[in-house]
Amino acid sequence: MVASRYTPAEEQKTIWVYLEQENGVLENVSLEILTKGRELADKMEWQLTGLLLGHDMGDISSSAFAYGADVIVFADHPLLENFTIEAYSDVIEKAILERKPSVFLLGATPNGRDLAGRLAVRFRTGLNADCTELRMEKKTGVLVCEVSGFGGGILALIEMPSHRPQMATVRPGVFEPKPRNHNLTGELVELNVNLNPDSIYTRVIERMVGEQVDLARVPVIVAGGRGIDGEFESLRKLAKLLGGAIGATRPPVDDGYIPREYQIGQTGVVCSPEVALCCGISGAFHFIVGIEKSKTVISINIDPDAPIFEFSDYCIVSDVNEMIPRLINALEDIQETTHEKVT
Amino acid sequence: MKKLHSVVCVKVVPKPEEIRVDPDTNLLIRDGVSSEINPPDMNAMEMALKLKDKYGGVISILSMGPPSFENALRVALAMGADHVYMLSDRKFAGADTLATTYTLAEGIRKIGNVELIFCGEESSDGATGQVPSGLAEWLGIRQLTLLTEIDIDINKRLGRGRREAKGGFEILEVPLPAVVSVKTASNEPRFMDYRIKDWSFMPERLTFWSAGDLQVDENYIGLSGSPTIVIGLAEAPTRTRKQRYLVGSPDEIVQQLLDVLHIP
Amino acid sequence: MMLVKESHKNKTYVINDTLWERLIELTDGAASLCYQCGVCTAACPWGLVRKDTFSVRTIIRKAQLGLQNVNDTLWLCTTCGQCHLYCPRGVNICEVFRSLRDIAWEEKITADGLPSLLWSVFWNGNPWAQPPSRRADWAKGLEIPYFDKDQHEILLFIGCTSSYDRRAQKISRSLVKVLQAANVRYGYLGENEPCCGEAVLSTGHKPYFRDIAKKTIEVFNNSGASHIVTLSPHCFDVFKNHYPTDMLQNQITFEHYTQYLAQLINDERLVLSGQNETSTSEIDLSLGIGNIPKINITYQDPCYLSRHNQEYLAPRQILELIPGFQLVEMEHHAEDGLCCGGGGGRMWLETAPGERFADLRIVEATNTNAEYLVTACPFCVVCLEDSVKSKRIDSLKVIDIAEALALYL
Repeated sequence: MVASRYTPAEEQKTIWVYLEQENGVLENVSLEILTKGRELADKMEWQLTGLLLGHDMGDISSSAFAYGADVIVFADHPLLENFTIEAYSDVIEKAILERKPSVFLLGATPNGRDLAGRLAVRFRTGLNADCTELRMEKKTGVLVCEVSGFGGGILALIEMPSHRPQMATVRPGVFEPKPRNHNLTGELVELNVNLNPDSIYTRVIERMVGEQVDLARVPVIVAGGRGIDGEFESLRKLAKLLGGAIGATRPPVDDGYIPREYQIGQTGVVCSPEVALCCGISGAFHFIVGIEKSKTVISINIDPDAPIFEFSDYCIVSDVNEMIPRLINALEDIQETTHEKVT
Repeated sequence: MKKLHSVVCVKVVPKPEEIRVDPDTNLLIRDGVSSEINPPDMNAMEMALKLKDKYGGVISILSMGPPSFENALRVALAMGADHVYMLSDRKFAGADTLATTYTLAEGIRKIGNVELIFCGEESSDGATGQVPSGLAEWLGIRQLTLLTEIDIDINKRLGRGRREAKGGFEILEVPLPAVVSVKTASNEPRFMDYRIKDWSFMPERLTFWSAGDLQVDENYIGLSGSPTIVIGLAEAPTRTRKQRYLVGSPDEIVQQLLDVLHIP
Repeated sequence: MMLVKESHKNKTYVINDTLWERLIELTDGAASLCYQCGVCTAACPWGLVRKDTFSVRTIIRKAQLGLQNVNDTLWLCTTCGQCHLYCPRGVNICEVFRSLRDIAWEEKITADGLPSLLWSVFWNGNPWAQPPSRRADWAKGLEIPYFDKDQHEILLFIGCTSSYDRRAQKISRSLVKVLQAANVRYGYLGENEPCCGEAVLSTGHKPYFRDIAKKTIEVFNNSGASHIVTLSPHCFDVFKNHYPTDMLQNQITFEHYTQYLAQLINDERLVLSGQNETSTSEIDLSLGIGNIPKINITYQDPCYLSRHNQEYLAPRQILELIPGFQLVEMEHHAEDGLCCGGGGGRMWLETAPGERFADLRIVEATNTNAEYLVTACPFCVVCLEDSVKSKRIDSLKVIDIAEALALYL
């Protein structure tokens, strides 16, 4: 049997979460995992630690504390300013081998996946990827992960009882981020970083952080069809409130209401969101092919015979122009109330 | 000048929609399920082939699996690759990604002289997406992941790729050898080249290696080499759509919708 | 910046001396008859939707000079056959295009989306990237018998599009209803029904098409069928005109369903009643029971039934016998019928709005004051209905002959 670099007997009763940041702001997925991590840590009565790497990040730790971290372990170094797999893996490897957490969670983002894949091998431990649910066994301290395979058709529960750290990458958009209190604070621990620039082989030639969402990976899609008559502005609003992106069927693209990059379907993007909200879409076959992998499909269409209803989990026979504004209002009201609660 | 030698890791997978879970044993029913080449690996093949179009060189296909996968791999070969290496041994079975990446790494070491290793972003069955980074770690080499485009500096032996991340992109450069993972659907895989199809099905074009042919530590392969354990399996409830109608006044429907979306 | 850019858009022309010879070889000499008169270009429906017409003549000229066509126009052709009809020398221009496309496959210069189309047929047995295990889902609950050569008169061949496309599935269900009403002893291969390979033939990959034909013929041979009736004119055309008949073990009669039904009517096995009985059809035709006032209908000649196989009469014969229907021909009909735009592989390629033949066709249909635009091909149904929806013409409905018949049984 392959053995991990440290054993369950040597572990510290801590759950570590890798925090991703951009320009001093924590990524949504990190907030989501902190929230879930907090829930697990509470159940186990363990400590939740956030791991943060970067350079000149400003006061970013306060939001991590607000979302439940007890401790932030951070590394601030010029060579960590841009993500490179070599620098980040080396710093994280050292930190984890020193402090031996039981559980190490990362977001299943491009960088998160790269790090997780490298580090799992480096630690000779297991890694559950793109998890949609996490649970800790109180007695044994074993992390049980739910993952899906075969295009979402099969669910598996997986654990690694004999290896540490218990690593998992978490699918963005599955867990809801819930701040506990904006006044919470915690312990800050700075890591001693010893990086040799020669060990960093990846040269970043150009980098552009943008607004463009990868429709194939976004957790919520609000798609508009012929029935919305080009009114994508409200859909954009709705998508933003739901933490997702907009998509479209062929007719509005043809009519010039929205660029072709947003077209979902056989000749467009095939996506697999948690939720697909189809507005004013009849459900032509080649569109269905683009969203059939969604976990939940909700459709709004005024025509009760629209084929889309056969492919939907929740069907609303109604005028989209009536439903969308109401939905937006309801969501905006909730947002205001949440802000009031916390401040 | 040194010829460019690329390996493409190809997995043969069952058709996802045909997989069922046996309710008695809680195991996957694989009998009678048709196979296909993992679609993202087709994108990996195409990226490797585009480089071969431009710079020449050799493409070897590497796959871990039972001998029955042979035909599918020869189909990949007929797209324009040069040889198939199959790692086939009962001892490799039951491998999770730690053991799989270890075994593939040993296969690549045996093939030798490899500068580029192409992988699909993830596989349609396990969908872990961990193989590319894991492979690079075992081999102690560089990686370029989630690339939509790649080019190489054939003189300086550098790989340069366009990677999409954080709503934008990065152009990254690494010295070869490197593992490259290819973003799913980032290119259109070419069809088989019928001029080499018959040749691709000749016996000499495929080599089988068992555990004994590789320099493996048996603790690191198959079940022994797999830290993760599957403790439960079920068919996902999303298989057939619920078709539940939300009815009532518009405001009532909105409330129900918020419930469905788990919004308090 | 950087990265690999495809070079097939460069402007240097390289003359390939063997191209013309290969083309003559591939078209069995047909290509050599062209004397560049240009009637083909004038007849081509692309001239109706594009100012800069798609010049059929120029493509053939370039081929004569040994210049491989490296731009997209080679893939615009829907193989409607209008050009062939008017060509004074009877050049089989569709065959010339398929052969040029074959050469393009060898050069690996094809329109985007076509390699994926072929892979779909290869891995899934259909061009729609749909799971093979769901091919017979359209028939759920209908208890359609599996084909048995000792029990059944005909093997019903549904085809990929009418198996998977939600709209076209309705045609399949209607056709089965009609066959049952006529007490036809028919069988179906269900999930084991192979792909006819039409998408591969039209897009020009001749060697792969041969492989498909071989496999499908093997299925037919094993089934022992001697009379195969297809739902789609495309499948019909491929079986009748492009499959190597020397590979068939038995003599097989291939027919399109309109031909078979017309014969059933002649044999009085299929009788059309005069009353609108309560039907379980999905189409709502709210006419009263009893005396049915006549409504105008018009008929779209599918290219692969009409020009390619000279079948103009059988569909019309059926329509004229349906009580309540008054057939009014469109301006361009029969031999001059306007293509719906779906042939030649174009069902799987994007056609820009404003360039869709179907948009023009439905204008012709509305000019006849027809309530129903009736056709006999799933591609026509899908393309024409798409146009009706996008132009929001509420007064016109598109249906297939099988669906029209199902209403009256």
